[in-house]
Amino acid sequence: MTANANNRSPAEQGMWLATVGLAAWMVPGAGHFIIRERKRGIVLFCVITALFTMGLYIGSIGVVNWESGRIWFYAQILCSPAVGIIGNFTKSGGYDVYGHPSEIGQIYTGIAGLLNLLCILNAVYMAYCGRGEMIGYEEEQESNG
Amino acid sequence: MAECVFILAAFTAPIEIGTDKMEMLWMFPVIAAIAMVYKATKMRVLFTKKYLIESLVLFLTISGFMILAIIVLNLLSWLITS
Repeated sequence: MTANANNRSPAEQGMWLATVGLAAWMVPGAGHFIIRERKRGIVLFCVITALFTMGLYIGSIGVVNWESGRIWFYAQILCSPAVGIIGNFTKSGGYDVYGHPSEIGQIYTGIAGLLNLLCILNAVYMAYCGRGEMIGYEEEQESNG
Repeated sequence: MAECVFILAAFTAPIEIGTDKMEMLWMFPVIAAIAMVYKATKMRVLFTKKYLIESLVLFLTISGFMILAIIVLNLLSWLITS
């Protein structure tokens, strides 16, 4: 952990918040993990990744398509930048995607992305308040003692 | 290696889902995920037991309201069409 939130300059604080936000977007739960909210980070990673993977399994990776389903793609990309790689694979339209499974797959992956947006905002807010540094410390003391 | 290929191949074609009443069950995993993520972001300190109980309560509350909405909408549709 770097210096306490109260001791940082505004520029350092801004960089710290951006780092937390970026980490939370890159890997669901990573933002919480780096502010010492490790249990929370692990839970968020497992739930969001499971929901997204389930959506891909139900509707096939064709549900991530930034040409035919642009609005859904905006929600899906919030889950991780890695979704863009899937979008690159599927833009040719070579993957089967139709009917009810497509709808359910899009809903699952879209909601996973939107839930990650909630986690990104929550991680940045916690980092801004310095909560991870205070409460994470308390939790660690509790689990050690 | 072959297992990995089979697992990856499972993601390239959609699974079979019909349009009958049982397909409504697909809403429950989403509700569970929403309840778990919401409670994980909302709780001040994440104590395992309390977290699981609160997530379960939220899951049941959302499910209850969804089922109520389904019943009301079905009733309305039946009243209008009969």
